[in-house]
Amino acid sequence: MVMKTEDTNEGARGGPSRGSLAAAAVAAVLFAAGAVWFGDEDRFGSRAGIVFLLGGAFGYVLQRSRFCFLCILRDFFEERDARGILGILAALAVGLLGYLVLMSSWVYDPSAGHTPPGAHIGPVSWVLVLGGLVFGWGMALSGSCISAQLYRLGEGSVLSPVALAGTAAGFVLGFLAWNTLYLRALATAPVVWLPERWGYGGALAVSFLVLGAAAVWLLTRLRPEPAEPGEALGAPPYTLRTLLRAVFVRRWPAWAGGIFVGLIAAVAYYRAEPLGVTAQIGSWSRQAGTAAGVVPGRMEGLDGFAGCATAVGAHWLSENGIFITGLVLAGFVGGLASGRFRLQRKRPAEYALALLGGVFLGFGSMISLGCTVGTLLSGIHAMALSGWVFAAFVVLGVWTGLPLKRRFESD
Amino acid sequence: MKKTIIAFTAAAVSTLSASDALVPTDWVAENLRNPEVRVIEVSVEDGVYQRGHVPGAVNARWHTDLVDPVNRDIVSKENFEKLLSGFGVTPDTTVVLYGDHNNWFAAWGAWIFDYYGHDNVKLMDGGRDKWEAERRPLSTSPQRHRRTEYTVQETRPHLRALLPDVLAAVKGETDAHLVDIRSRDEFTGKVVAPAGIQELAIRAGHVPGAVNVPWGEAVNPRDGTFKSKDELREVYAAVGIDGSKPVIAYCRIGERSSHTWFALRHILGYEVKNYDGSWTEYGNSVGVPINNPSGTVWTGK
Repeated sequence: MVMKTEDTNEGARGGPSRGSLAAAAVAAVLFAAGAVWFGDEDRFGSRAGIVFLLGGAFGYVLQRSRFCFLCILRDFFEERDARGILGILAALAVGLLGYLVLMSSWVYDPSAGHTPPGAHIGPVSWVLVLGGLVFGWGMALSGSCISAQLYRLGEGSVLSPVALAGTAAGFVLGFLAWNTLYLRALATAPVVWLPERWGYGGALAVSFLVLGAAAVWLLTRLRPEPAEPGEALGAPPYTLRTLLRAVFVRRWPAWAGGIFVGLIAAVAYYRAEPLGVTAQIGSWSRQAGTAAGVVPGRMEGLDGFAGCATAVGAHWLSENGIFITGLVLAGFVGGLASGRFRLQRKRPAEYALALLGGVFLGFGSMISLGCTVGTLLSGIHAMALSGWVFAAFVVLGVWTGLPLKRRFESD
Repeated sequence: MKKTIIAFTAAAVSTLSASDALVPTDWVAENLRNPEVRVIEVSVEDGVYQRGHVPGAVNARWHTDLVDPVNRDIVSKENFEKLLSGFGVTPDTTVVLYGDHNNWFAAWGAWIFDYYGHDNVKLMDGGRDKWEAERRPLSTSPQRHRRTEYTVQETRPHLRALLPDVLAAVKGETDAHLVDIRSRDEFTGKVVAPAGIQELAIRAGHVPGAVNVPWGEAVNPRDGTFKSKDELREVYAAVGIDGSKPVIAYCRIGERSSHTWFALRHILGYEVKNYDGSWTEYGNSVGVPINNPSGTVWTGK
């Protein structure tokens, strides 16, 4: 339970220190400067500005509502607290509706054989099952998924840089395995877009039935938390101070975070590309691996799949890299302004575990063409079967991985 | 063959001029609601049309709509008719094409329209980039038009060069200029394909007798619009292409050469064929002569 202090659902009671607030102000100024810099379309094109802002919005929401897939699943598995998972379900439901508006206008007839442009609809095979499991184990071992590792940089997590380095290494391992996996399974694996089979209405109905059933099942197991007097969201007194605390200091409830994540997902798909956080890490690993002569120059079929693309583009910083930059900076703003930034001393074994878990994260997301954001969220939003399959096996991976992690820690 | 060429040059002189084939963004903006005009986007990048297009424009996907999805060939007559019927186009409709990447595939589209006998086809000069740079409005509403029953009136195979046509020119059996519009390094055989593109040919170099005028020579670097008719005439005259002999344009896969083909045929009014097989066919063919100044064999020396 070493992690408890940084993962707790409780808000930071005392609030941020002066130093922390000053640092948050610096981070906010940096973010604003970034928005202006990326807003100049001569640098990275006309979409860079909006992509940076969306990354910021995403990172801030993740940090404020503790939208960490592992923490959320662990709360449920270990403490029967399902509020976080309900937040994920909210993110999926809102995003599904947003995507539905876009996809049904872009591809009027889903049975015509065109999938909506850029949507993360991936191949379904045993490789995806393996990817989900490995990713789930990586989450359990490293302490969170990739998006949470990124926003936690802003909370001063000393393990996150190690886990992210491991992720890059895991990507290289994934690239090494790719050609074999492609020829064994992926080349002929079905790419299933549910509306193509059931129409938009049918696919939406099935998706909502699954989400609704999950919500009902969870609610019957939810152990109600005692209300915190005077601290409940929206409770009086209505003063500027309570408002500021609610926005900047106290945790946002998971359901609020989920709704924002769903909205950001739809806007991101509309203005740029589906949410994802691994493409830049992947393409840098691929570049480095290819330059070192380790990764084969030709990755069979890889760049033809929809997902978190790792193809090396025209700019040194891809659109996804700009998104991540905004995400991390906003994570710092959120972490510092809420007084959650603290550097903690960790044991060498914890670093080793973060590194190993990171390798699993990288390998799992490489062979699944994305992580809990790019394949799970953006896949289910796009009504891709691959999103659902990945989700199921990530949960299974976390469930089987958590006892493993406890065993390592007790050694 | 000879007869059609004569007929075609006569038609070219009487109906084609620079202002006809190329329309500025202003003209497109003024004609957005003109029912006689249909604007069609042909972009390389998937998803750019959906996220904002010239208001009223419909979307043609080059890699499925304008080619045969199985054989290496242009779109079949039947599928072309189906596509245009869906767009609500009639043989009298003025079709304006535009796209990303300097109108590369929009020009391919113009070639296809011309091939299938649709006379009234134009390119929006400067393409998508210019429209955006001028801060003109984009629409995200999908466009659907009342279906028509489009039928192709005539096909113009003389606008297309096949491998035997190229070989006949190489061997001097026909008198034609060959223009290679790829980069200097591809032309001289230093590389097989541009940076970042897979090497899809076994041999490097160019078709013997071809002159090298990279496609970019035909545009103003400032905004991607075509150079003026006089400037274009000079660019090509400098390498001996003056319209006195038929021209065959080629590149790697036939898409950028459509751009040069468009300039030569629709702006200068020369007789020109597009060789869509291009280097990926020629450089892989057995027994054809190649000129390779770099002396590379496969990708080595």
